[in-house]
Amino acid sequence: MKRTVDVNIPLGPVHPCFKEPARVKCETKGERVIAAEVELGYMKKGIERIMKGRPWQEVMFLAERVCGICSVIHNMVFIEAMEQISGIAVPPRAAYLRVIVNELDRMQSHLLANFSYCYTIEHETLAMYLLDCREQVMDALERLTGARVTCAYMIPGGVRCDIHAEDQVVLRESLDRIEKELHRYASMFGNGPMIALRSRGVGILTPVAAREAHVVGPTARASGIAEDRRIQHPTYKQLGFTPVVRYDCDNYARIMVRFDELFQSIRLIRACLDGLPKGIIRGGGICKAGEIRYSGEAPRGELTYSIKTDEVGRVVEIQIQTPSIMNIEACCHSMIIGADSIADVTATFVSADPCIACTER
Amino acid sequence: MSILQAIKNKVRSRSIHVSYVDVGSCNGCDIEVLACLAPRYDIEQYGIFVHNNPREADVLIVIGAYTHGWEEKLAPLWEKIPDPKAAIAIGNCPISGCCFDRRGSYVDPPVSKHIPIAAEVPGCPPRPTEILNAILSVRDLVFADWEVKRR
Repeated sequence: MKRTVDVNIPLGPVHPCFKEPARVKCETKGERVIAAEVELGYMKKGIERIMKGRPWQEVMFLAERVCGICSVIHNMVFIEAMEQISGIAVPPRAAYLRVIVNELDRMQSHLLANFSYCYTIEHETLAMYLLDCREQVMDALERLTGARVTCAYMIPGGVRCDIHAEDQVVLRESLDRIEKELHRYASMFGNGPMIALRSRGVGILTPVAAREAHVVGPTARASGIAEDRRIQHPTYKQLGFTPVVRYDCDNYARIMVRFDELFQSIRLIRACLDGLPKGIIRGGGICKAGEIRYSGEAPRGELTYSIKTDEVGRVVEIQIQTPSIMNIEACCHSMIIGADSIADVTATFVSADPCIACTER
Repeated sequence: MSILQAIKNKVRSRSIHVSYVDVGSCNGCDIEVLACLAPRYDIEQYGIFVHNNPREADVLIVIGAYTHGWEEKLAPLWEKIPDPKAAIAIGNCPISGCCFDRRGSYVDPPVSKHIPIAAEVPGCPPRPTEILNAILSVRDLVFADWEVKRR
């Protein structure tokens, strides 16, 4: 069948709204988008090939460099997979500290995602408020781990450094401040009439289409699919974790799910600080040979590491499956199609929070 | 120095348009450049405006270890920027390739092989203040008296 296409509009790879290079090719008729295709391949570094044959001490740091935004969860999933292979037990205090750092990282990632969306729909005031709030989270992360972005906090058998009593007080104070500010920003976003015009009913991803595209993370939870790998995690089970779900299926729901998860992260960190067990933070152990497939919940969805090691702890084979690729596919097959204007294409693409560095590695 | 040159120096020192391009990084430096926009560092108080249009830019920030996808794209992008212009490499990746420059990877660092780099900020990733400092130091070195230097 012959299709009537007015213009093919390529967006990217260098585009004001995208943090990272990706090209979205849209076929348009008037302003209506009738087909879209995402072209990747600007960031392929081949990190899995670099990882092969190296000892875990090196792969631990390479795993962080898969993605700079969600570096803590890459470290955590790799280290927990190595622990599962070798049968290393984690001290309870270290397990709680891991959750604290992981949730802080999730908070800064979600704040950055919401900043990008607000910046894309040209609500610069709210975007700058959110970015300022993110700096406070980065301060807390730096205070606990010693670095802003790639902090290598977790090691097999525990964590690298302890949390002091004065750090706990500072962390609680900054959490109170962040929560107060976030309540204001979430209500600004939730009740803003102009934001609703740009966001509500735009970029619909129905639950059926979401299941077909195997969508994960906040994108899936905004379409009414209650999937979260944290439900299976033993420490999160102790804390009584339940995933946040919304049923609106549009851009607005995806951003509001991230806001809800920010509050949920604050609650989890407070629960961890309240019930922080006393004891050692490093148990020690020896990495052994084995093979495992292990998943964790990254800020963008399910992250899977498939690792095979030899007897001295070298990584023989490794495959990483990152969440963004499914979300990007769902984006160009379901969410962008039928958009009323080209301006909605960038907003919808950014609302799914694609991480190109993760995707291509 | 002519009056015209003095006016140009004055104007250029308070109006720098920045374009950034990611040629295959891990995103760590990317978010630190974005953090410069935050009210805490407030890049716009120095007259630096970050957007991604190479045709209006004065400074090109290059992040990442130069993957093969950019072979036919980075040099034309650099040519599109009007004179006077400067490129700044942020992070270890464009300088040396950092952890990605190993056997079997698909990167081709350093970026200075492909386009001329005026300043380099090492770090994995560098802090936002260091990035800001690099842009401000390039401002004085490259843009002041540019017409006189060209002669």
